[in-house]
Amino acid sequence: MKHRASAIQYAVILLFLSYMLFPIAATYIFSVATRWDRSILPEGYTLEWYRTALQSSYFLSGLRNSMIMSLASVAVSLLVVVPTVYWVHARLYEAKPLLELLMILPFGIPGVVLALALVQVFSFPPLARSPYLLVGATVVFSMPFMYRAVGNALTAIDVRGLTEAAQSLGAGTGSILTQVIVPSIFPGIMSGSLLVFATVFAEFTLAKLITGAAFKTLPLLLVEYTRKNGYVAAALSVISFTLAWVASLLILWIGRTGRRSAQETLRSR
Amino acid sequence: MAYLDLRGVCKAFGSVVAVKGFSLSVEKGKLVSFLGPSGCGKTTTLRMIAGFEQPDAGTILLDGQDITAVPPNRRDIGMVFQSYALFPNMTVLENISFGLKMRHTPKDETISRAKEVLHMVRMDDTAKRYPHQLSGGQQQRVALARALAVRPRVLLLDEPLSALDAEVRVALRAEIRRIQSELAITTIYVTHDQEEALSISDQVVVMNRGIIEQVGSPVQVYRSPATRFVATFIGTANQFNGTAAGGHTVLCDQFRIETKPFNLIPDGKPVVVLVRPEAIRLQADDAVPEGWNAMRGAVETVTFHGAVTRVGVNVSGQRVVADVTEAGMKTISLGEKVCLTFPGDACQVMERDE
Repeated sequence: MKHRASAIQYAVILLFLSYMLFPIAATYIFSVATRWDRSILPEGYTLEWYRTALQSSYFLSGLRNSMIMSLASVAVSLLVVVPTVYWVHARLYEAKPLLELLMILPFGIPGVVLALALVQVFSFPPLARSPYLLVGATVVFSMPFMYRAVGNALTAIDVRGLTEAAQSLGAGTGSILTQVIVPSIFPGIMSGSLLVFATVFAEFTLAKLITGAAFKTLPLLLVEYTRKNGYVAAALSVISFTLAWVASLLILWIGRTGRRSAQETLRSR
Repeated sequence: MAYLDLRGVCKAFGSVVAVKGFSLSVEKGKLVSFLGPSGCGKTTTLRMIAGFEQPDAGTILLDGQDITAVPPNRRDIGMVFQSYALFPNMTVLENISFGLKMRHTPKDETISRAKEVLHMVRMDDTAKRYPHQLSGGQQQRVALARALAVRPRVLLLDEPLSALDAEVRVALRAEIRRIQSELAITTIYVTHDQEEALSISDQVVVMNRGIIEQVGSPVQVYRSPATRFVATFIGTANQFNGTAAGGHTVLCDQFRIETKPFNLIPDGKPVVVLVRPEAIRLQADDAVPEGWNAMRGAVETVTFHGAVTRVGVNVSGQRVVADVTEAGMKTISLGEKVCLTFPGDACQVMERDE
């Protein structure tokens, strides 16, 4: 009986994994196929599409723009969301339902609507159709991810108790945040940053409608290529996907060493 | 002159009054407990002393200085929380050093003082550990050390032992008392556990519904409760309703009780007589000592409590409980007719509302 249950469990997990991994694997294979539309397996293999993709004049600028967008969104998100969520958890419980509601809105409002509304309202320089406006939009769009990750981390610790303990020991708000709260919720901040980074890196609608051709990001380039050459688009997807992975790992690594060095400085005192 | 002085402190949360007209003077170096049921306002009062809550009215003075409007991080008050509230990202030593670091104490002095308090709470070996590697009792010791490291003017303890096992609780409260006396630090101890309050305090403040019912030494609040609430909240008391007669007699429906003199209550006033179970003796024969009260009834319940056995006796329809030590009694059987005796001195008489 138990044996059978575990067999079913494995089957479910296998099904789920193949559901998740199959499209990715297919994209990887497609990007190195000479032709793959008449046979079960590709007719041949080539790196030609990667050469085309990397040689595109837009590739590097697109990559750079996507990186700027993602990193700027993470930075703004950290500065705005983390103190807000802390405040709500530590002192202003009354505002929590309001914030929860606000954090659902980005899921409810389609990107198209948000983008068009922003373009209409901020139609004056320097904001009009600028990367600044785009960062503003992507921060709003990705805010729930940061909010959830940081909020969950804060719920897991006794925010009020820690804050009051630090206060009674003579700490002001700045010291409480930087020395007690942030180090305690560091994993949450890291995972929030990762989610924001990945979301913004792959964002298409806002970039298309707000900056468009003036500030081409990698996803814009990718969509362009799907119309020209599917194999190059696949190669671009693979590059983008891999880059997002590398960036994520990098953030994780920086986070871990950062925390370790912080602990070491504390210890050496 | 009082070291910590609360004058007419009031606090309400919305329409709920948490503390009203709280006035108390605490002498330097004393340990004072706030004792009462949950919701009696004891924690709110403590939090106002700490500065985490602002009183709606009244003033709080510390060493002659009005601290009512001083923010918590400038009050120089140490606090220990029920939830320990140790910083999870710091080692034990870092936790203890935190307050000193905030005060920019030189590094050498910080380390030596942290080690000193760590030794005081007998946790020398744990300096490099993280809070999650410690047991609840150990964490609370560290929290105590952390609060003491900055040498605060007042130490506040908010139900510090409530989350711990009975055994650890008893051991740790003795430790707290020992350290408190050694340092002679003015301490406020909030608890809902009467045994805890009675065993460690110089003074007990019994609170109920936001007001002080009685302030007194542990012996005073136990032996001479000022109100019916105090008498029933602290320990157990048998209550006999009756009317005052002749300054030392209370007439009840079925019997009369001779008490110690109560001169201030006029005849005919409704009163209640309170008698502690341990003051009542159980006798099978009718050898009532001279001048003692005697009541007769049948044994209804027998509950073994270890050191004593609590016997419930039905006296004319009212349950009267008596604590009997093993030595004083043969085996008691249910339904057995017994005689309950107690001296007038053991009776506490107070007026009651109709």
